[in-house]
Amino acid sequence: MSEVETQVRKSKKPFYFNTSEHLLRIGREKAANLSELLEGLRRCPANSVFQHTFRTLQEHHFIRRGFSNDFAHWTLSACNEPALAERLASVDVREFTSLEDLRQSLVSVLEEYVRDNPDAAARRAEESFYFCAADIVVLPTSFVPETLPGFADGLRRVSVHSIHHHFIEARLRLKLMSNDFSQWLLEEMSLPDEARAINRIDIYTATMEHVRKQIIGIVEHAV
Amino acid sequence: MSAQKAMNPLESVAEARDSGVGGPARVVPIAAGAERRQSIRDFRTPPVPQPPARLDDYQNIIGQASLDALRFLARDLKGKTIKMVNSTAVGGGVAEMLNRLVPMLSELEVTTHWDVITGGNDFFEVTKAFHNALQGNDYQLAKHVEEIFLMYNEQNMRRMQFSEDLVVIHDPQPAALVCGRKDSTSHWVWRCHIDLSHPNTQVWGFLRPYIERYDAAIFSSQSFARQLPIPQYLFYPCIDPLSEKNKEIDDSIVQAVCDEFRVDRSRPIVLQVSRFDRAKDPVGVIQAFKLAKKYVDCQLVMAGGGASDDPEGAAVLQEVKAAAGEDPDIIILDLPPWCALEINALQRASTLIVQKSIKEGFGLTVTEALWKGKPTIASAVGGIPNQIIHKLTGVLVHSVEGCAYQIRYLLTHPDFAKRLGENGREHVKENFLMTTNAKRWLLLFRILNGTQTAPLP
Repeated sequence: MSEVETQVRKSKKPFYFNTSEHLLRIGREKAANLSELLEGLRRCPANSVFQHTFRTLQEHHFIRRGFSNDFAHWTLSACNEPALAERLASVDVREFTSLEDLRQSLVSVLEEYVRDNPDAAARRAEESFYFCAADIVVLPTSFVPETLPGFADGLRRVSVHSIHHHFIEARLRLKLMSNDFSQWLLEEMSLPDEARAINRIDIYTATMEHVRKQIIGIVEHAV
Repeated sequence: MSAQKAMNPLESVAEARDSGVGGPARVVPIAAGAERRQSIRDFRTPPVPQPPARLDDYQNIIGQASLDALRFLARDLKGKTIKMVNSTAVGGGVAEMLNRLVPMLSELEVTTHWDVITGGNDFFEVTKAFHNALQGNDYQLAKHVEEIFLMYNEQNMRRMQFSEDLVVIHDPQPAALVCGRKDSTSHWVWRCHIDLSHPNTQVWGFLRPYIERYDAAIFSSQSFARQLPIPQYLFYPCIDPLSEKNKEIDDSIVQAVCDEFRVDRSRPIVLQVSRFDRAKDPVGVIQAFKLAKKYVDCQLVMAGGGASDDPEGAAVLQEVKAAAGEDPDIIILDLPPWCALEINALQRASTLIVQKSIKEGFGLTVTEALWKGKPTIASAVGGIPNQIIHKLTGVLVHSVEGCAYQIRYLLTHPDFAKRLGENGREHVKENFLMTTNAKRWLLLFRILNGTQTAPLP
């Protein structure tokens, strides 16, 4: 496809930039040690798993390093268990399209650690872990582009919450190891290389603003 | 010059004249300072209240996209009404917050009314005792006390109309107003601003049946909540970035305030802002400062109030002065409550800000410090761990020695300190601003109404 064709081509379906807003609900489970964290993680509702993994990335979108999910952070800061924290932090939310699979992965890491370190499992944490959950409201934005330049403009102007909604949370909705941006570029704009490049952006080593810049860079290159 | 002279601007003109400059006690030449500061204002009298900011005024702070999200959230609630009820129209964090929140929600066309309960001295004595007991103090609940509480709640219930779609009752004082709930289509929410993690069992046992009649309860921290059969939400307290305390100010004002209080901006400044209250551990701050000062050059500013109208505050101030001794680098300021601009300037002038509390509510002084991008050292108590993620948005400490070490470390590692400050400001922008607070109310209202609550993404 020529450069001009790519620029002016209109998609059959526009890209609807939405955003999601969340309200934190305080859950019933809380943990004062690692064994209780494991028990709480097994029992808590799925939107608690969502809150402490996917959502926590959004809440701390401005931190480049050192924050991956609430479980890893708590096991380090309140339990002083760096080995466990590293293992929990390495659980990449983008490898999951189901919260139950993500829960199971976290439970497996904790089960193994608790089994191998029974003293650590029972040791009281400096502060308790409180399970919370996210109530979500999805909102439209005024950006509904049909062209690549319009798409780039939308990417520049929406909030980081919108970027998170389409780029990170989307896989739970799509049930695909992909994201809304890549899917639109692939299906509507026939840009498989750009779609793949965007899907490879590392969310754990960049702030969400930096992720946005990388996405814009790839789209602008295509424009 | 010596230090630890508590500088109360209401008294210090005479003191300055009596003592002069260069004597044994460190005294601020207020008369000269006031002259210098005429272009700002005279802080010895309360300033004229500013008109509330408009939503568009926040655009440069939170961005157009976040403002648009607020308006989209409000769109489906247009024409709905909210009533907020609390126990005081002036003074205290709740009134300060409502003063800003109510016009903001109304500007979004969600008309919000604010009503204040009335009561005699006997009622407010009871509610003050309840307040302290719910935060863990010993208390024996007597039958006549329950009767006083319920009688005034009933009087207020009869006086007020509850025709709004959402009724929000703030704190325990008006909690029994829920007995006036009639319309099953309206929603009632209890907003608890205090720490209920270890309540007096008698008082909590008395109030709990009333709380259970609400549709939801809201707490300021996960750790403040109780197990209840109704949904519980987390609403962080917030600051207004356009208030006197937090707005951007010209450096000339910062300089004038520092000149006024003899704070040397060419040397590192460590600041704690808090009432003279043992729960804020002001003596511990001085001990930490003295330990740190053995290794790094710095000054300590203790800016607070409450010593002039509170006997306990006055006693604590004496303890603070005694702890400061003759150290010329400790500056103690006992400021009147309306000195928000001066506090703003001192926070902006500081190199580091400390909040070494032993017990704390949410700790809005920490929020203010983080908003100004200042590296902040604070105790891991109350709601502070919600704000300070250790080594990411600030540092948490658990002792005088820990506080001293972090003062030394941050003063000698400015790049790390700068990064903490930048992250801290972003954390506040995301979670603890008035606009985020308004967003949470709109979200809750929509969720209670069942308006387009999404399943998991």
